[in-house]
Amino acid sequence: MNGFSRRDMLRAGAVGSAVMASQALASPLNGTRMLPAEMDRDVFAAAIKELRSIVGNDWVFADAQSTVSYNKSFIPDPEGLYLPSGAVAPASVEEVQAILKVANKYKLPMWPVSTGKNMGYGMATPASNGQMVLDLKRMNRIIEVDPDLGTALVEPGVTYQDMHDYLEKHNLPFWLDVPTVGPIVSMLGNTLERGVGYTPYGDHFMFQCGMEVVLPDGSILKTGMGSVKNSTTWQAFKWGYGPYLDGLFTQSNFGIVTKLGMWLMPKPPVYKPFMVRHPDADDIGKITDTIRPFRMNNLIPNGVLIMGAAYQLAMFHRREEFWSEEGSIPDDVVKKAAAKNGLGMWNTYFALYGTDEIIAATEPIIRGAFEASGGEVLTEEDMGDSPWFHHHATLMRGGMSLEEIGIVRWRGNGGGMVAFAPVAPAKGEEPKAQTVLAKEIMGKYNFDYAPAYAVGGRELHHIIFLMFDKSDPEQEKRAAQCMEEMITRFGEKGWCAYRSSISTMDLVADQYGDTNRQVNARLKRTLDPNNIIAPGKQGIG
Amino acid sequence: MAQVPVRPVRGGLPAFLVLAGSGIAGGVLLASCSAPANGTATPREPEVIYDTTCGYCHGHNVGPIIRGRQLPAETIEFFVRNGSGAMPAFKPTEISPQELSALSEWISTSKADSTEHGQ
Ligand SMILES: Cc1cc2nc3c(=O)[nH]c(=O)nc-3n(C[C@H](O)[C@H](O)[C@H](O)COP(=O)(O)OP(=O)(O)OC[C@H]3O[C@@H](n4cnc5c(N)ncnc54)[C@H](O)[C@@H]3O)c2cc1C
Repeated sequence: MNGFSRRDMLRAGAVGSAVMASQALASPLNGTRMLPAEMDRDVFAAAIKELRSIVGNDWVFADAQSTVSYNKSFIPDPEGLYLPSGAVAPASVEEVQAILKVANKYKLPMWPVSTGKNMGYGMATPASNGQMVLDLKRMNRIIEVDPDLGTALVEPGVTYQDMHDYLEKHNLPFWLDVPTVGPIVSMLGNTLERGVGYTPYGDHFMFQCGMEVVLPDGSILKTGMGSVKNSTTWQAFKWGYGPYLDGLFTQSNFGIVTKLGMWLMPKPPVYKPFMVRHPDADDIGKITDTIRPFRMNNLIPNGVLIMGAAYQLAMFHRREEFWSEEGSIPDDVVKKAAAKNGLGMWNTYFALYGTDEIIAATEPIIRGAFEASGGEVLTEEDMGDSPWFHHHATLMRGGMSLEEIGIVRWRGNGGGMVAFAPVAPAKGEEPKAQTVLAKEIMGKYNFDYAPAYAVGGRELHHIIFLMFDKSDPEQEKRAAQCMEEMITRFGEKGWCAYRSSISTMDLVADQYGDTNRQVNARLKRTLDPNNIIAPGKQGIG
Repeated sequence: MAQVPVRPVRGGLPAFLVLAGSGIAGGVLLASCSAPANGTATPREPEVIYDTTCGYCHGHNVGPIIRGRQLPAETIEFFVRNGSGAMPAFKPTEISPQELSALSEWISTSKADSTEHGQ
């Protein structure tokens, strides 16, 4: 019912070959749209030639056909503003240095990606047309895992799956912390975006320790203790000496990060996952106020997810199963469908880690507080084989899953999704007001509000995945407009995103104010005078 | 106490993880996994790629079942490289051309797996 039929596959194959055949003739050298702005075609061709001499012909992708995998993204791009000119894939730090030399010489902008799976934020596509993707996936070594300290040093291409397999193979007693899409995404890429996961190590940048960065002029910086001769503490101590530099290379375009240190969580003897079910849409305030003290005193140690019912349904179901109207799916329809599946309007997932004694002491305190807020506290025994419970229980121990990708096809086969992730303080009234505002704006554009709140220490990331059908040009345009209005109106209330899709980077950067933008611009001019690394990233350059 | 089952992994490890250089060195550090970068490493077996990439969605509530359907190999290759709807595209740096051709053939000719389920 929800899949594609064999006939669909055959049709797609036929269309695909036709498209690919015609694309093969259309080298980007024949058109200007995919080239960097103001770059002469011959200059581009000369740069490509030099890049080929660095990485070999197989690892430069400079025609429409071979670049096709780099173009795919879920976000709305109705005007075709975010297409790369091609891609180059180095295998070593030395090759990265040589590529940057060429980029400087020809002023060819490079958009670095580690695995390029920045889903909902632009995937591998650049913030403006014609940038060349610097695909670091081939640099995929797990350089070091220290079994005493539980630290790891990895290259950009290492996925969470790779590290998971490594820990299993070597029987190392550590857990990973994964975003919900762990198997195919990069530990380094996710951490540079300041991504989140759901164990006690959920704030990835907090648990990062030491970087190696190739600066735009080709010099190599090791942050923290990494620059000390004979250092044995690079992955053990974050702060080093003097200004702390690592933050400059997250969500930025000041350098190419080629190594990243991370801390791994010791595997606890006992792990117990919970779900708390709340029945009503406006319970979000009560839930937030209940969790806050437990996150502050660490009785609940993990990155808690408060999942809206529509988000949960979208993981494993399609909209048409519940609602066939064009307008937003009403709360009562969502509520009924959720109840049928053992879900509430909000489903809060937290876990306890430690020993039986520790958990036995903590559980009643937390249970009592949630029950007082009107929630039902449920365990694995209560939830049986609920795929939702199983999914979140997997995440809260750093397990591998891609089930949430299901939400991207909620609205139709075309698949479309763009993320807006404003931050709210962990005080009930504010997420409650954010939910009301998001619903109002999304309702105006006929989209469904399918939220998740990821709870940090004292704040919530309000994850609003706007789901649309990208094969419908009108919907795609509407999605872009809706996103712009949401960002603008949330911003007026002082609620800004922690991260942004490439399509809204300037808009969000403006909300952080002129001085902030100017400081970033000054740093950019100093470190990257030719503006060759990811111009436009986070509104910089 | 509750322990949630780990998703069964049907295949082995990605090639670069099983190459030389792994193990406890000097009792302190695990030596680096110093395999060559992807593309020059030994290609991974199709089952391994299926288990660690495709199988998380296909036959697992999210994507349609694709095994045991004799889908044409070239169509599979097209979907992998281009993506389709909610399916992301996979680049030659993630699944090499050689790996993709073996994977597509394997999916195309593989038997249905009764443990897989649709959406
Ligand atoms: C359904 C769904 C659920 C998701 N759940 C989560 C979640 O739980 N948590 C979460 O954090 N995200 C989540 N995401 C978003 C996203 O897919 C992940 O954050 C993913 O890890 C980012 O992609 P990546 O790791 O491939 O990074 P990349 O795409 O490789 O990198 C991201 C960006 O970082 C910069 N960058 C990357 N590498 C370098 C480098 N070496 N040097 C300099 N700059 C670099 C670039 O600007 C790049 O665009 C979700 C997405 C979807 C669709």
